[in-house]
Amino acid sequence: MQRILIPILLAGSAAAGAATPQQLMQDYTEQAVRQAPGYQPSARRGAELYSRRFAVSEKMPACTACHTDAPAQAGRHVVTGKAIKPLAPRAEAARFTDPAKTEKWFRRNCTEVLGRECSAAEKADFILFLTEGL
Amino acid sequence: MKRILVWDLPVRLGHWLMVGGFALAWATGDSESLRLVHVFAGSTVMAVAAYRLLWGILGSKHARFASFVRGPRQAAGYLKSLLRARPPHYAGHNPAAGLAIVLLLGLGLASGASGWLTYQEIGGEWLEEFHEFLTGLMLGVVGVHLLGVLVGSLAHRENLVWAMVTGRKLGEPEEAIRGPRVVAALMLLAWTAAAAWWLSR
Repeated sequence: MQRILIPILLAGSAAAGAATPQQLMQDYTEQAVRQAPGYQPSARRGAELYSRRFAVSEKMPACTACHTDAPAQAGRHVVTGKAIKPLAPRAEAARFTDPAKTEKWFRRNCTEVLGRECSAAEKADFILFLTEGL
Repeated sequence: MKRILVWDLPVRLGHWLMVGGFALAWATGDSESLRLVHVFAGSTVMAVAAYRLLWGILGSKHARFASFVRGPRQAAGYLKSLLRARPPHYAGHNPAAGLAIVLLLGLGLASGASGWLTYQEIGGEWLEEFHEFLTGLMLGVVGVHLLGVLVGSLAHRENLVWAMVTGRKLGEPEEAIRGPRVVAALMLLAWTAAAAWWLSR
């Protein structure tokens, strides 16, 4: 029975995207190390990325445009005015627990705000900052 | 056969509104700064599809579902006949086009509704995923539809894209519709503007 049940339970949890932000950060860190040996994630770089003004998009020049200067606070979509739950996992536990969703939104939002996709190193930095703060 | 009026104005206008709405919605799907444009474009598709359902009952001869909706078997039979030298000619929609219309109307309504519910934050993440699946499926059907239009145009030596602009196609004079139905087309415009505005608030 256990031989059947355990894989089913594991598959179920994977489908629900049950990972932790630490695991996701670790995955991105491993990717980044393969690209640049010696890389270590940095919350300071993550904070800098979070607040940097790229000004690629006029309405959304930086992450802070919608997510505010304090990622543990609720944000507000600058175009639709709709409320956005806090981006930081310490305030909103569901954040960065689904690898596919995380990838999807990094791809969309990096492309729009930075004008390019984010690197694995930037993603690891970003998640570390949002998880632990500075 | 002569060139006769086949497509009334609501059919043509609705067709091109759907083309524009779907293309714009697709192009803006990943953008947050163009989110309102995306919602308005998707709402346009939904509004036009809804009007088309009514027009499929009340419209002129070749606009009515009863005149062109056939089963998948007849659609497949028509597609096979395209490979032969002389496929049967239809003044209105052929059976394969009829199937494409039903699918595109259904997908236009379903992807619009799922997108709208997602925008209103009803339904959650699975609905967002479902919306993306449906729009991808719709793009696929659009691709097949375009291929069908190309093959049909070549097989019948008739520019079917231009026919959807002018409303005129080859056919027997008694198959022609009497007029372009301008009032119903104006109602389509008014309805679409109002519905799309209301939906994208």
